[in-house]
Formats: sequence, structure tokens, C-alpha cells
Amino acid sequence: MGNKRSPYLMFWVVAAVIFLFFFLKYVSPRVFQVLMGKGHPMPTPSTLMTWYIIMGVLAGLVYATTSNQKFVDFLGFLLPGQGPILKLFFQKIFLIAFPLVVGWFVYSYSLPGAASPVELRIQHPTLPQKYEKLENPFREKDADTQRRCIEEGKVLFQTYCRPCHGSKADGNGPFANSFRLRPINFQDPGTIATVVDNYLFWRIKEGGPGLPSESTPWDSAMPAWEGDLEDEQMWKIIMGEYDTAGVMPRQREKTE
Amino acid sequence: MNISKLLSKLVKQKSIFFILVVFALGAVFSLSWQGGALRSAVHAEEAGVELPEFEGEGKSSGEQQTAEGVAEGEVPPEEEEEGELEPVQYRTFFGLDSRVVVWIVSELHLMFAAFVLGVPIFAVIVEIVGFKGGDIKYDKMAKEFTKLLSAAFATTASLGGLLAFCLFGLYPEFMGHLTNVFAPTMYVYALLFFGEAFTLYGYYYSWDILKGTSVKKWSHISLGVLLNLFGTALMFLTNSWATYMMSPAGVSMKTGRLLSLSEAFYNELWMPVNIHRLIANVCFGGFIVGAYAAVKFLGSKTKEERAHYDWMGYVGNFIGIGALIPLPFAGYWLGREVYSASPVMGNIMMGGAFSWTFIIQAILIGMLFIGANYYLWLGMGRIKGSERYTGYIKYLNVIIFMCFAVWLTPHNLPLSGEERAMIGEQYHPFSKYFGVMAAKNAVVNLIILSTFFSFLIYRRSNKGETVRFSEQGKAGKIGILSGLGFCLLMLISYAISLNFVELDAQIKGYVKPLIFALYIQSLAVCFAAFLTFKDKGKLAQFILFGVTACIAVLYFWFYGFQVMQKANLVLRYLSVTQVSIVMSCLIMNAVIDIFVFRKAKVVGDIVWGKMPVRSQYALLLLCIVIVILMGLMGFIRSGLRMDWHVYGLLQDTSQWTYTPTLSFMGRVVGLIVALFLGLVSFVFWLANLGEKKVKTEAEA
Repeated sequence: MGNKRSPYLMFWVVAAVIFLFFFLKYVSPRVFQVLMGKGHPMPTPSTLMTWYIIMGVLAGLVYATTSNQKFVDFLGFLLPGQGPILKLFFQKIFLIAFPLVVGWFVYSYSLPGAASPVELRIQHPTLPQKYEKLENPFREKDADTQRRCIEEGKVLFQTYCRPCHGSKADGNGPFANSFRLRPINFQDPGTIATVVDNYLFWRIKEGGPGLPSESTPWDSAMPAWEGDLEDEQMWKIIMGEYDTAGVMPRQREKTE
Repeated sequence: MNISKLLSKLVKQKSIFFILVVFALGAVFSLSWQGGALRSAVHAEEAGVELPEFEGEGKSSGEQQTAEGVAEGEVPPEEEEEGELEPVQYRTFFGLDSRVVVWIVSELHLMFAAFVLGVPIFAVIVEIVGFKGGDIKYDKMAKEFTKLLSAAFATTASLGGLLAFCLFGLYPEFMGHLTNVFAPTMYVYALLFFGEAFTLYGYYYSWDILKGTSVKKWSHISLGVLLNLFGTALMFLTNSWATYMMSPAGVSMKTGRLLSLSEAFYNELWMPVNIHRLIANVCFGGFIVGAYAAVKFLGSKTKEERAHYDWMGYVGNFIGIGALIPLPFAGYWLGREVYSASPVMGNIMMGGAFSWTFIIQAILIGMLFIGANYYLWLGMGRIKGSERYTGYIKYLNVIIFMCFAVWLTPHNLPLSGEERAMIGEQYHPFSKYFGVMAAKNAVVNLIILSTFFSFLIYRRSNKGETVRFSEQGKAGKIGILSGLGFCLLMLISYAISLNFVELDAQIKGYVKPLIFALYIQSLAVCFAAFLTFKDKGKLAQFILFGVTACIAVLYFWFYGFQVMQKANLVLRYLSVTQVSIVMSCLIMNAVIDIFVFRKAKVVGDIVWGKMPVRSQYALLLLCIVIVILMGLMGFIRSGLRMDWHVYGLLQDTSQWTYTPTLSFMGRVVGLIVALFLGLVSFVFWLANLGEKKVKTEAEA
């Protein structure tokens, strides 16, 4: 492998970034639609789009400056009157397109419009101290009792939680579509499987109104079940919920 | 001379004083502003758990004494008559926010301490390398850095004193508790400090005296080793105080009474923090050295100077990367132990209030790896023969940036309402599959493997035709077999130990694939050694890289999701298995590389000093990034305690008990970074004053 001159380096870098943009904007939403069996495309969020494009540009610039020769070749693309006709053609396209693209971005960002603000969500709001040391009283019982609790919990889950969270705990209950922020899919390993079960106890007991100040009230439409359900019922629901979703709660670990 | 001319002259001369004045003014303005901002942003909400009463304190924690009254000397008349003063819980620092003052001073102290503890480790290593290899420039560099250490040491000690006064003055009740628990260790700390000071100055001032003979040089090196032992002991000791605040042990959680000093000292997070800080200090020291060399390189006037500082920058970067590679493993271990100490604290850290700081951390770590690789790739330009390998750079670049993209993708994306509606579920697939630890661990391992690959191609850039392995003699065989033995011991012993982990039978089934993976890697390592003996060392390296990437990156990425879902207790073993497999690849490939390219034909020299200027800016960037990273991580580690001085035991009832916002944290960390870089530049400038004078006299 040697150091070959690359008069089209800038062209390739720009082409790679454009390709990345089109992939994120048009290809990946369709790919995810097929892979996840959805009835609609899964558009790449604007924040992620911006980050990935910035990284693409950075990657191109880093590569173009890894040697003096590459750097000269990279910038040389812009120099007038050098190289073959094809290069001069792309050069003119680039010199015309670049200001147009910048102008388009400026225009689209400054265009008056209405959009809800982008929110910085916190996945797991801080669990109040009084819940930290709580233990599920049924987890230490014998296997038969635990099984019975799980079955009772499943019945309770179907009674109280199914309308939103779905009969399979996958977030697809009959009411799910009525929420702006859909109920969580508990089968996803990144959700209830990552927290200890007393965390769920807090969420069920205090619901959306009990969220701390850093989590805005519209981060959860979960009602507070305190007053409607007994603590024991909540613990059983938690056991039934994990079983229905087919995941395990985070286990407390012994330090080494 | 009018003021504008004076300012212009100062700027032209890049006067360090001018910079310092600007920093100082910035600091004063910033602190004043923060004080005002904070006073207006006081959290009115009181935490729900009461502060436990400690022995000898007749006052409940809820009755917080106003600090201003005490600070200004205003004693209520009735108290004056009775002649009694109630114990003070909190004071303010001349009207400023006490917490921010302690935050800034402790972080500055910690950064200087990291430098003072990290640099001696490699100063001694460099001295040994220079002595064994007979290359005087290594010795010269080690001495140059010890000179800087001497100046930085005094600053560290001064900041340490200031920190102690701030803590005892501003948080007397909390420090009273900490003293009750750790008093005996505080005396030991002072004694160790004497040891550190004496050995450091002894090490520096005896440099020229203890040279000439082998015995003298080894005596000097021993002094350096002793210096490191004192330094490490000092750090370990103070770490126990800091980690006790996060995971208290050895005390009654109701009364705060000390039950066992050893348990309080050896609390759950002590050792993970020790190891993490030890490695991080070396990394920090390496990148600071790199930046120092870069500044010197940029100001060099002769070819010799450029060559020397180019080489120094390379060594600094090499040490920085060397320590950076195991750092994510140590960090992951610490993170897991935080989860173990308190699942709630763990959730706060990764999924809660501090989750976004980890996205910032991911960006900074990504920048470190990219910067370090970029410097290596640019460095290949100074080696004749490297053009045979530069073609790999584009692939490495793509891999590293793609990994970086996954590495920083958050699990919870900032979304607008419209986007949420269009996505139609909680997580977009990018965040669902890239945002969890299984994915992060996989890509960080791939980044590490790629960085190591960059280093290997850099290393062999000027190496040509290799000799047959049989010509490497006994050293080659012993080397390869030792590497193999070490890797097998690490892999197989861990595989065997996994058979005996105490888990429910249902969960234990998830451990079996890990054992299987460890055995496959063991076979791959054996096969690589076999191929090396058969003169196919390069193929051996290629296969080992391939097998490692397949297991530790691809398979464990997928399997991590399974484990997360069904058996999170196995995650701990999964991560250690992943680390062991990657480490075995790094170790074995390094050993193979040494013996394959030993005695190889040299096709070109390394032209030290032939580096583009942007490479030096990469070194500066690495230094700034690691300083920011240290400031950020310091905030996270300390902030995880939320509204507790000592987690779950001694509650913070001051007005500054709330968790700062990200933007406020950013401003304070930015200020700390600017202050540290300003101070360290000043200290380095001071340390070089004498040298300048000698040079001027010599020229005259």
C-alpha cells in the first residue's frame, strides 16, 4: 500500500457525507420499518441526525489531514485550472452547490414555524430515598407461594395495567395509541430489566405526579395507584409484570 | 508607554502574567456571579430523610444554623449572655457558595495531585529504559520532568492545605464526623506526605550525584520507586475518605458511631477507585507531558530542539494511550461496584440525573481515542517506509468513528413531540440497540483493538524483511511461551472460576457461553503461538485480531442483550470475560510483534522533528480533553451522593444541597480547567526560569 495522489479526495469526502445524510434520512427509516415489522417508517431523530452528520464531517476531515500530501490534495480540489475536466466539473458543481446548501439551511432554520421543543428526557428519575431499601416481601417466600403471587399479580396486571401496557406487557394496550408518549414496552431489555423491582413499586405507587422536579409532569401519564391498590397488590403486580414481559428485575449484587 | 501599547507588548510576548491576570479576573467574576446566581436558585424543597443525631451533638440537624450570622461575628444577645455557642453546621466563603468553592479547590488539588503522582511513575520507567538501553535522552527527559514535578508538588501541597481549611471552615460538622472516623489515618497521611516530599526532592537533587556507576544509578532508581510507593500510598489513603462518603462502612448507620476503622477504610468503592485513579493518573501525566512537549516544539528554534520535543511528545502520547487502553475496563469495574453498593446510586449515574454527563464523557473519551490515533497516523509521516501501511488508515478511521457514533448514542434521545409521535414508541431503534451497555462495551473494545492496531502499524513502519523465527534464539521462544502462558493462565483460570459462581441454576446457564468463549480464545492464542513458531507471525496476529473481534465485539454485543433481559447478575462476568479476551489479544499480539520484527531489516530512519504543526495541536487537544474529563468525572463521582455528605448516613442540609444543572456544571468545570491550565503553565514557566538564565549566560 502506498501513498497515491488523490485529486478527488475532497469530492469523496463530500460524497460520503451526502451518502450518510441520505442513508439516515431515507434508507434507515425504511430498513427499520421492515426489520421491526412496523406499518410506518422509523425516522431518524433530528438530534441523532445532526450528531452523526457532524461525526461524518469530522471523520472526513481527520482522514484528509493524516498526511501533508493528503491535505494538499484535499485543498487542491478547490484550486482553479488544475487537473482533468471531470475534476473541474465537480469543482464548479461544488462551488455552486455549497453556498446553495448553506443558504437552504439558513433559510429553513429561520423560517417561522411551530414545533414542540426538543426535550432532554431522563430515563430513570432519581428514586426517593425512602424506597431504596424496600424489598419485595414475596421474593423470599417458597417457590409455591412465589408462583401463586405471580399468578395473582398477572391477574391484577391484566385488570389494572393492560389497558395501557398491553396484555403482553409490550406497551400495546387498547389505550396506548391515545398517548403522545406511548407506554413503555416492558419486553425491551433496556426498560424494567435494568432496575430493581422497588423502583417499579415507586413508579406504580406515585405515578407521574410523584416524579421529581427534573422530570417534567408530561414525561409520564402513569396514574398514582396509592389509595386504589394495597402495597401487597403492587408487589404482586410487579412480579406478574416481569413474568408477563419475560424479563427479570435487576438483582442486588454483592460487592467483590 | 500607554496602556494599549503595554497590553499589546504583553500579548506579543505571550506573557504568562498577562494570562494569569486574565484567569484570576475571570475566576473572581465567575465566583461572584455564581454566588449571586446560586443565592437566587436556592432549592426550597427539604429532603424527606432526617439527619441522624450524632453523639455529643445536642442539636438536631433540621435546626440549621445560619452561616452568615456566625461568619460576620453577630452573636445573638441571649447567647452572649449565656456564653454558649451552638455548634456550626455550615459557613459561607465571604458570601460565596461554599460548595462551589470546595468544588473548585478540591478539583484543582486533585488535578495537580494526579500530575504529581502520575508523572513519577513514568519518570522512573523512562529512567530505567534509558539506563538499560544506554540512551541518554531518556535520562534527560526523566530529569526534565522531575524538575517540573518539584515545582508542581509545592502547588499541590498549597492547594491541599487550602482545601483542608475550606472543608474544616465551611463544613465543620461534616468534617467533625469524618475526623471522628478517620483521625488515625490523618496522622499517617501527614507522615506519608513527609516521605513523599523527602523522596521527591532527594530523587531530583541526587540525579547528578547518583550516576556514573551501576550501583549508584540503581540506588537512584530505587529512590524513584520509593517516591512512587509513598505517592500511591498517599492517594490510596485519601481515596478511602472520599469513597467512604459514597459507600459508608464500619459505622453505625443510625448513630454514626465508628465500629471498625478498617471496614470504613476498606469500604466497597475503595479499591475500584484506587485502581481507576492510578491508571488515570498515568494517562493524565502522559498527556500533560505531551502538551508540554507540543508547546516547546511549537516554540523551538533549532532542528535539535524540534527533534527532542517531537520525541518527547511521542513518548507522552505513547504513555497516555498505554494507560488509556485499560482505563475503560477499570471505569466499568468502578461503575459496576457503584451499582453493587447502591442500585439507586447506579441508576442515578447511568439512567438518572447524571446520565447526560455520561454522554459528555463518551464524547470526551471518543475524542481522546481519535486524537491519539490521529497523532500516531501523522507520526507515520516521519518514518520512511510507513507508506506501506498508510492505506490501513482509512479503514481504521471509519471503524473508530463508527464506534464513536455508537458509543455516544444515548438510550434516551432528545425528541420533539412530533418525532415521538412519528416514531410511535419509547425508543428509536438506534437508541434501543446502540444506547445500552452491551453495545457500548462492544464498541469500546473495538476502538481499543483498532487503536492497538494503529500502534502496531506505526511500530513496524520502518521495519522491512523479517528474519526466521528460529533465528530469534531462546529469547524468542521464551518470550512467546511466556506470553502464551500468561494469557492461558488468565483465560483458563477465569473460565474455571466461572464454574463455581454462586447463582441460581436458571441464571447460571447464562454463564456457560462465557466459559466456552474463554476456551475458544485460549485455543486462538495457542494457535497464534504455533503459527509464530512456524514463521507465520503476521498471519497469527491477523487471526487473533479476527477471533477476538468476533467474540468480544460481535458475539458479546448480541449476547449482552440476552443477559440484560434474563440474567443481569451475569453482566458482571460477561464484562470481565470481554476484558480478559481483549487483553489476551493485546498481550499476545504485542509479544508476537516484538519477536517477529526483532532483528528485522530497517528500511528507513525515524526523522524526529519532521511533524506537521497540527500534530502538536492534537497533543494539546488531548491534554485539554483529559483535563476536562477529569473535571467532569470528579463532578459525577462526588455528585452521585445527591443530598448526602455521607450517603445514607449524614445528610446535607445546607442551601447548596441540590444537584447543579448541566449548564452550571459546564461553567464551573470550564473555569476549573482554565484555572488548572493557567496554573500549570505558570508553574512550568517558573521551573524553566533557571534554565533560561543558564542558556542566556552560555550564549553571552
